[in-house]
Amino acid sequence: MIKDNPVVKLKGVGDSLWITLDPAQPVDVIQKEMDRLFNRMKHLAVNARIIIDTGGKDSKEKSKLVQELGFYLKEKFCVGYVSMPPRQRVVDEERARKKDVSRSWEHHKNNVLMLAGRVRSGQKVVAKKHLLIMGDVNPGAEVQAAGDIIVMGTLKGLAAAGQPENEEAIVAALVFCPSLLKIGGYVAGAPSLQSMGIAEFAHVEHGEIIVEDYLKAGFFGKLPWLEVR
Amino acid sequence: MDGKVIVVTSGKGGVGKTTATASVGAALAQTGKRVVVVDMDIGLRNLDVVMGLENRIVFNIVDAVNGKCKSRQAAIKDRKIDNLFLIPASQNDNKNAITPEKMVEFVKELKKEFDFVFMDCPAGIEQGFENAVAAADEALVICTPEVSAVRDADRVIGLLYSKSITPKLIVNRIVPEMVERGDMLSHTDVLDVLSIDLLGLIPMDENVVVATNTGTPIIFNNQSKAGNAFKRIGLRLDGHPDLPIEVPSTKSSLWKKIVQKFAVKK
Repeated sequence: MIKDNPVVKLKGVGDSLWITLDPAQPVDVIQKEMDRLFNRMKHLAVNARIIIDTGGKDSKEKSKLVQELGFYLKEKFCVGYVSMPPRQRVVDEERARKKDVSRSWEHHKNNVLMLAGRVRSGQKVVAKKHLLIMGDVNPGAEVQAAGDIIVMGTLKGLAAAGQPENEEAIVAALVFCPSLLKIGGYVAGAPSLQSMGIAEFAHVEHGEIIVEDYLKAGFFGKLPWLEVR
Repeated sequence: MDGKVIVVTSGKGGVGKTTATASVGAALAQTGKRVVVVDMDIGLRNLDVVMGLENRIVFNIVDAVNGKCKSRQAAIKDRKIDNLFLIPASQNDNKNAITPEKMVEFVKELKKEFDFVFMDCPAGIEQGFENAVAAADEALVICTPEVSAVRDADRVIGLLYSKSITPKLIVNRIVPEMVERGDMLSHTDVLDVLSIDLLGLIPMDENVVVATNTGTPIIFNNQSKAGNAFKRIGLRLDGHPDLPIEVPSTKSSLWKKIVQKFAVKK
């Protein structure tokens, strides 16, 4: 019964029926296959929502085919509503844009550890993902995160971002003078004991840790759309 | 009413805990309060020497805590100030000779008899620190304007907070000339890192060395800047919490002083 590559496949998705078909096949072959499947469903098909997935990128011929098949199904099996699947996720870029438009971050699970106060000498704060500290990190204190570390205050202790091996992570602070800096597997000594009095951040570029003026570098400002980090 | 139990601590050694304990204790006793200073540095006792009472020790804190003597027997009366008492540490035990639980019991008794109980905490954050802090209501953190002292004080402050004690800061050994030259951390730099209430600023003073060596409290020397600063700390601890904090300075013009008094914020 199970063919290697059936012309028409049918499955229930949510409140609708999802039909996957091969648009390269002639229309009458597809219709024949559909007949076979829909006959078996009998009344279940009445008023059902149908999504016809032709696979691959959208094109004019495909939408025409879907329209034609839609009419056919409505007439013969009294289905309710026929449509094409929501736009294909073909490239990463499209996916990212879509996230932006659909505001996907509203469903994003919060994985930032946000703390207010002062991390004192001898204390160690470890975050499973990102770490945001509203306050200072004193000399002798240690902050560690699997993702980014952002300190809204003075960073004077040890900061280890992207542990154990996320080299995309950054460390940012309003007053940036950590005693030691780790990002992923890279380690940097005190970049400059005297902070320049500006917000700075550190990231890995070409295999070394670079500290830059946060506002001037515009690292994230250059991103074309919003991304969940 | 029960007295206040104040632990004097710092984390780092040699920043002036013992001197501060003796001086602030003497300053408060001089104003008529009944004060006892307790040396918690078991095995390395110093407070008796600083107070000039080393040849009067019969019982010590280990005896008192373990019930070998009464607290009244262990408390040595000061030579000059009637209301000031010392409970010395033992020189031949180690820090494990007493436990935090026994300390709490012991201090409960002391509280009934005295208005202020000052405890001179040993350096470090081990057993000796635990013993001293267990019974304390308040804490004074002594810090010198050095990076190492600041870091240790910071650690101690964190530990005190975790024991529900809100510490107050005394910055000791400020050399105004060096601060003005930029060679020494200023008290504001220290406060920026530690961010706790400031109780007093003590300038570097040679008279302190003389006073500790001769066993006379520095507060008896009216010429001593440090002595006067300790007296003011005593007042702030007892009834005058808003007494302005004077910043040690090389200049002594009246206007400068007035300006500074208004400029310093706790």
